[in-house]
Amino acid sequence: MVPPEPGLSYKSVAANPYAWPFDGQWSSADTALLLLGLQQCAVDALQAREAVLAARDLLLLAHEHGIAIYAARRDARPEKFASDDHVAQAAWQWARDIALPEDAHTITHAGDNAFYQTGLENSLRSAGIRNLLIAGLPTDGLVHATQRTANDMGFECLAIADACAGTTPARHAAQLRITTFGNGLFGAVADLAAVRAALTPS
Amino acid sequence: MAVLTSSWPSLRPLDIRRTALVIIDMQVDFCAPGGWVDQLGEDVSNTRAVIGPISEALAAARAAGMVVVHTREGHKADLADLPLNKQWRTRAHGLGIGDMGASGRILVQGEPGWQIIPELTPLPGEIIIDKPGKSSFHATDLEDQLRALEITCLVVTGVTSDCCVQSTIRDGFERGFECVLLADCTAAVETDNHLATLDILSAFGGRWGKISDRFAFQQAVSGGGEGA
Repeated sequence: MVPPEPGLSYKSVAANPYAWPFDGQWSSADTALLLLGLQQCAVDALQAREAVLAARDLLLLAHEHGIAIYAARRDARPEKFASDDHVAQAAWQWARDIALPEDAHTITHAGDNAFYQTGLENSLRSAGIRNLLIAGLPTDGLVHATQRTANDMGFECLAIADACAGTTPARHAAQLRITTFGNGLFGAVADLAAVRAALTPS
Repeated sequence: MAVLTSSWPSLRPLDIRRTALVIIDMQVDFCAPGGWVDQLGEDVSNTRAVIGPISEALAAARAAGMVVVHTREGHKADLADLPLNKQWRTRAHGLGIGDMGASGRILVQGEPGWQIIPELTPLPGEIIIDKPGKSSFHATDLEDQLRALEITCLVVTGVTSDCCVQSTIRDGFERGFECVLLADCTAAVETDNHLATLDILSAFGGRWGKISDRFAFQQAVSGGGEGA
């Protein structure tokens, strides 16, 4: 698949509460996929394999179209664990279902926000990114906290609902509903299928 | 010294010298007749209902000599600090930020609608934070001011719980502040989203912030709570 010519745009994504992005302009030149907290420990704790498989498909789709991949994970480096604690070490790793491409940008953050005290904003801005596709775990934790900060920074965000999972299904749904309140206070929400449709030539 | 609640902050005493009462965005545009939300045709009864409870919490904080922070969401007159998507979304919603409404330009600094409602007018010496985003920490000096005063705990009130209040608590947590939300001093336009915010804050045992109410707060700051 060939990315559109510079200055051209993919089709808008059928999203809630508006067709995303707001100005109809998105391409590999100005859009990144932000994968958050796709670590095996989170997948196990949240029983989120289904969401991770959707995130994997989203990753493959984005990469195929030349969209830059940014992947963030919480700082719990192996040296912080006892050397014989192999479970903890494995848990810190990326989810087993996720294979990041070699040119993916990785971010390590200390808390529940991929922007706080990391180089993520500078990295995105210097790459000319203004639109973010967002997926990861948990919806009502790292994902939404990071999306709120991105939104305050002016990035145009689209949460991919089925590529996220919450601390409970109710909180997942509620957090995404809050995202769309007020005509998209924090951006828009769509499913993976809608992103795929927008990227498929008509 | 008094304990604020049995659940916050982790049964440790509330040190009022290191605690600030934060009152978020109690502005005409969000919670008064003729303000922005009212002009959008939405119901301001939820956001108005917390004016009395916040007044009580504020009186207790003032009587105890606590640090008080008021925030105002707003943009510069030239809208240089207004993201294009934020402007577009609000215009598509019916009345855009920066556009002229019944109480002046919507959420523009200095306009009548941008003012804090008269019931909660800040006193001289209280901190006022003008913020262009949803989080009180985004593009403001709130963190620096709190650090300079050696504040470590934030008691959060104001509107709306699902939006600017939630953003401020999340960012406060991220920066190491212990946050507690007074549930009877915050509200959302839609009750479902308010209740969901309280439920979300209970995730991971209240990792991002704890929930209390103004009665526990009043008792704690007046020294009438359990000894610690």
